Amino acid sequence: MSFLANFLGATVSAATVFILAGLGELISERAGVLNLGVEGIMLVGALTGFITTVLTGNYWLGFLVGGCCGMAFSLLHGFLCISLKSDQAISGIMITLLGTGLTTYFGVDWTSRSISGFPDRTLPLIGDVLVEIPVVGPALFRNTMVDYFALLLVPLVWLFLYRTNLGLEIISVGEDPETADTMGVDVFKIKYLAVLLGGLMAGFAGAHLSLAFNQLWATGMTAGRGWIAVALVIFAQWRPARVLVGAYLFGLFSVLQLRSQALSLAFPSDVPFAALLNGILDFLLNPTIMATYPYLATLVVLFVVVYRNENSHLDQPSALVQSYTRESS
Amino acid sequence: MQFGVELTPRSEVPRWLVYATPVFTILAALAVSSVALLALDVAPLEAYRVLFVQTLTTEFGIRETLVEAVPLILAGLAVYLPLKAGLWNVGAEGQLVLGAVASTWVGLNVSLPAVFLLPLMFLAATVVGAIWAGVPAILKAKWDINEIITTLLLTFVAADVMSYLVRGPMQSPTGNFPQTAILPAAAQLPILPGLDVHAGLVVALVAAVLVYLLMTRTRFGFEVTFVGSNDAAAEHAGMSKTRVYVLVLVIGGVLAAFAGVAEIAGNQARLRAAFEPGYGFTAIPIALLGRDNALNVVLAGLFFAVLFVGGDSLSILMGVPAALIEIIQALIILFLITAEFFKRYSVDISTDLRVRGVRADAVGEDH
Repeated sequence: MSFLANFLGATVSAATVFILAGLGELISERAGVLNLGVEGIMLVGALTGFITTVLTGNYWLGFLVGGCCGMAFSLLHGFLCISLKSDQAISGIMITLLGTGLTTYFGVDWTSRSISGFPDRTLPLIGDVLVEIPVVGPALFRNTMVDYFALLLVPLVWLFLYRTNLGLEIISVGEDPETADTMGVDVFKIKYLAVLLGGLMAGFAGAHLSLAFNQLWATGMTAGRGWIAVALVIFAQWRPARVLVGAYLFGLFSVLQLRSQALSLAFPSDVPFAALLNGILDFLLNPTIMATYPYLATLVVLFVVVYRNENSHLDQPSALVQSYTRESS
Repeated sequence: MQFGVELTPRSEVPRWLVYATPVFTILAALAVSSVALLALDVAPLEAYRVLFVQTLTTEFGIRETLVEAVPLILAGLAVYLPLKAGLWNVGAEGQLVLGAVASTWVGLNVSLPAVFLLPLMFLAATVVGAIWAGVPAILKAKWDINEIITTLLLTFVAADVMSYLVRGPMQSPTGNFPQTAILPAAAQLPILPGLDVHAGLVVALVAAVLVYLLMTRTRFGFEVTFVGSNDAAAEHAGMSKTRVYVLVLVIGGVLAAFAGVAEIAGNQARLRAAFEPGYGFTAIPIALLGRDNALNVVLAGLFFAVLFVGGDSLSILMGVPAALIEIIQALIILFLITAEFFKRYSVDISTDLRVRGVRADAVGEDH
């Protein structure tokens, strides 16, 4: 396989984690609940999915268990933020601390186990033909089933949010819970549902890491990807299609970090200021400097959007980070 | 059986609840954590004896606790002060890391006697801490951009910048480890006579007293409290929300950066790539535990210092993973925010069977 094909393939599988966790966070935030616990929920999904796969040998079951455990764990966040009206940011950070602590504490015995996880296979039905396309073919059409599943979820989540009653109720609760309540929407139930869906998908994202991407369990293996997923939702302006674009962009950054040396880009010496330009290029392509790009890009997007539309935060759910209390009953 | 849950917002928090909260929280967290200990066949009471009694009854344990408490108190204050104005500085970790970077750079590259060099290191940390917290402050004050998101994102940027510098421009010329050279003696904080603890302890305690006085004895402290409890009313009263937001976050950023200086110049003597102590995140439960006044932040900081030091002995002596401390920390936050709910609302749960017909319509509506 050529370098470029290899590179594209790595980007596609790196993006899957961001797509899954990002879409989940998007649904939750659309209902007005910020979940900073993604990192911790992903770790729980990764470890429980891995243990299940080791014990049963069935990676599909592992994937499912990882998702469900992520969902169960997110219920704690939902209870604190929705029923107890706690500060969402602090509850989320607590979830991340607790998830990291629990998986580190109980995951020690599982670090040296090996599994056979999701294999690469060509896309069913049409993949056998498309995989013959040079360069792009193998990158897009020979992946794990989880990668296809994640891609499929993008239009599904879009349809769910914008074309079903339940989805529109989620959006209305995130925009204006009082009005939604008056219209007969059960605000608390919808918020719980959105948080649980978000937890399910963060659990899937974690299980993808341990069962398909790395096929092992390592302490703290999410390595900040949960935080990037939180940034991604802002970067994507709370829109599913842009989550896909952003996931590829951030996936590309993370692959570049590992392979920037192999690129060996440089200005030829007859360009004016070649030495200076190469110095700047070296700095910008430095792996640790590249790790900051998703965060900086998100900050820039956040600022530009707010600056351009003063007083209107574009697609940010208006009631994000607010807890809802019924006036009277 | 049907449940009716009645929530009534409290106008005033009962005194006993204010004092009981921290005690109850810590006990509940320890009780739940003992499940994790039992899962590894460790007797919880014996483990907690090692964790607390052993740490607090040996000279070594006390010394280590005080050293550990210095950055925790400073970082705790960095979260506490903005919290008083209703802002969450969840990025104390990033401000702390950059304070460590800036002061290490000055310490390694400027040669001056200690009396000038140490203040210069703190000055460098002041500048980076103020910038790193000042940017989110201005974004919040001018454009209402959520400070939780911005301070958090900047923390990750700070950690990567440090990692880059320690592996590149600031790496020690001798050896291949990702770390700086050792700070010269003039750039290290002196040891306090009689205590065997570095002078960062004085910095932390003085900072706590100053923040305490700022909040209780000055007009600015009054404005902070006012903006924190009702920002619209504060603006009506002629106070500037922008000024309060920027000042509390900038002072917070500087305090967090001081935590970084104290940890490097007082304890570690060099900056390592693995220097991401997590103190900036522990600062959140510290500020929550001590949220009533700055002196309680000192107590909360000392408590977490005991946990960290005791956690180390627990993992050495009894083989309990140090992650237990992380679990306890998370549980303390969990129970604190639960207690917060009971402080704000008085809850009446009725399991009334007799009047089911009458109550049925109210059931399940008040969550």
